[in-house]
Amino acid sequence: MTTHRSSLFARIVRRVAIVLMLGAASLITAAWLYARTAADEAYDRLLLGAAFQMSESLTVADGALRFVLPPSAFELLGLAQRDRIFYRVIDPAGSTLTGYADLEPKAPLSQSRNGPVFGNTEYRGAAVRTVTLSRAMTLNDGTGWSYVVVAQTVEARQALASELTTRATFLVAVMSLLALGGTALAVRYSLRPVDVLGDALRQRDPQDLTPMSADVPRELIPFMTSINHFINRLDERVKLLQRYVADSAHQIRTPLTALTAQVSLINEDNLTPDDRRHLERVRNRTAELARFTNQLLNHAMVIHRFDSSQLAAVSLNDVARKAFRTAIPITVDPDMVVSFEAAEDDPVIMGDMLSLREAIANVIDNALRHGASSRLEVRVTRDGGYGRVEVSDDGPGIPAQEWGNVTKRFYSTRSGKGASGLGFAIASEVASVLGGRIGFREKAEGQDFCVFIEVPLAAEERV
Amino acid sequence: MRILLVEDTIDVGEAICRRFQLTGHTVDWETDGSAAADILSFTEYDLVILDVMLPGLDGFSILRALRQSKSNVPVLVLTARSEIDDRVGALDLGADDYLVKPFDFRELEARARVLLRRRTGGDATNIIVCGDVSLDRANRSVKVGKREIQLKRREMTLLEILASRPGKVFSKEELLDQLFGFEEAAGPNAIELYIGRLRKKLERAKARIVTLRGVGYQLVADDNA
Repeated sequence: MTTHRSSLFARIVRRVAIVLMLGAASLITAAWLYARTAADEAYDRLLLGAAFQMSESLTVADGALRFVLPPSAFELLGLAQRDRIFYRVIDPAGSTLTGYADLEPKAPLSQSRNGPVFGNTEYRGAAVRTVTLSRAMTLNDGTGWSYVVVAQTVEARQALASELTTRATFLVAVMSLLALGGTALAVRYSLRPVDVLGDALRQRDPQDLTPMSADVPRELIPFMTSINHFINRLDERVKLLQRYVADSAHQIRTPLTALTAQVSLINEDNLTPDDRRHLERVRNRTAELARFTNQLLNHAMVIHRFDSSQLAAVSLNDVARKAFRTAIPITVDPDMVVSFEAAEDDPVIMGDMLSLREAIANVIDNALRHGASSRLEVRVTRDGGYGRVEVSDDGPGIPAQEWGNVTKRFYSTRSGKGASGLGFAIASEVASVLGGRIGFREKAEGQDFCVFIEVPLAAEERV
Repeated sequence: MRILLVEDTIDVGEAICRRFQLTGHTVDWETDGSAAADILSFTEYDLVILDVMLPGLDGFSILRALRQSKSNVPVLVLTARSEIDDRVGALDLGADDYLVKPFDFRELEARARVLLRRRTGGDATNIIVCGDVSLDRANRSVKVGKREIQLKRREMTLLEILASRPGKVFSKEELLDQLFGFEEAAGPNAIELYIGRLRKKLERAKARIVTLRGVGYQLVADDNA
């Protein structure tokens, strides 16, 4: 996939990934909250147990409050090995009986009269969890409330909470990855019909204008219908054009032939010199008309064939020889030396026989008509990865500055001497469709002016 | 020679008939395809000139039927069709030559002549070689080295005569007789003209036509080359 072209696959996967990430984040947050609560609950019970034991060991003896620290309370709290423990026992008078006098829970002590009160606070630079218990004691001076405050640092709770969170995070991550992978696979699989349709389109024979019949899911049916609709229209167009060219070929050529036929029957002997001159002009114009008609129809044929036919391996010797036979009339000027030289190792190229023959014939015809004064040579050669048909003549040639222009349609170098018409244009179009070109070589000492058509050799021919 | 012309355009048929009749051939002219096919089934011709688009039966079908019945009469096809979607051409169906309309009538005559001649003189199958000039009498083609040189009928005949016995001196009269026969009136200048053209066409060959003043001409191979 190219970077700047979005793919359905990437779009879907990206969106699913975002949803999964948001889901995972909230799950992990929830897990963290839950883990903290769970750790607090577990350790709070120990803390409370210790506080109760301590509160139980508050006794009244001789009307005075007495406190003996029970070792079991510390054993209980010792389960959290690294945590430190602080305690404070407050007598009903409000003074510290024993323990850390500066240990102060956040909530007022009196709140614990309804039951144990837990709280978080900071003590000596460490976060601690506190529990406050109250107990009514009857002393000499009446009944009063004494309190027990136990604080424990929170390292063990935090360790437990973070361990629980880590495990939960790990599970969520694994689940998310599985979900993402599964989504990718599912999307890939679901998008398969798109690839299948694409492949079917790509592998179609360009000549094949029958509707497609690939088995596609419902969502793709509009596309297939559109494609088939388009194929149908193209097919109709091509057939129409084909019929049009074929019809006009016949419709134009028949009367034109009749015209030349009748002109050829005129007996010149009975004509005045003036009439004879006119007749000569009619004859020339008729010939010109015939030539242009042929070129136009051939041009249409060549364009159409490239639209509709597939290239095949063609022997360049064969096609050049055929073009030579087509282009050189038997009635050619007897003083003209015309020769054909085939290549020794026949170059095979990928092309369309008829179009290529037309292209070469047009170049030969042009040389014969406008170039050659007494010599015309057609030669097939092989030049690197190219097969080449050279047409050289001993005429003046085409000046280098005109080379670019003569391959344009209806470009005329010398007005009045007959335009080159479509000849070079056809040759150049055919050559370029086949991946080659038409080229020119200047007249030089011992070397005639030459027009050549170069076409790449068929793949298996290249060494 | 007897020629069958199958052509439904009157103006064209008329001109072809007239032209071939002027050169002394007998032309039967048919405008309908099926009628032409009937005639061909029981009449021998030396040449068939066949249009493709015909009422009744089209030219390609006539040609196919003709070749299926093992007839080898030369057929020259005239076509006005564009080859836009032709999968098989006239030549594939067994035509000997074809011309696309509109054509030059002199070209038609020349091609018809070639086909008529091929029919009568198809006996020689050997290749004559002199220097690097080789003359294939069956195909009536000439090669100088690797180059195929296009020769006119008379030039070909002249070369054939000279090359049949390289080194032998042929007098002008001898050549005149063989080249034109007795009925055609042609002066000795004609021989000079043909010799000149032939020389030009053999310019880079390793064989030359040597003029022996007052005696005649001979073809000599350059052995030292």
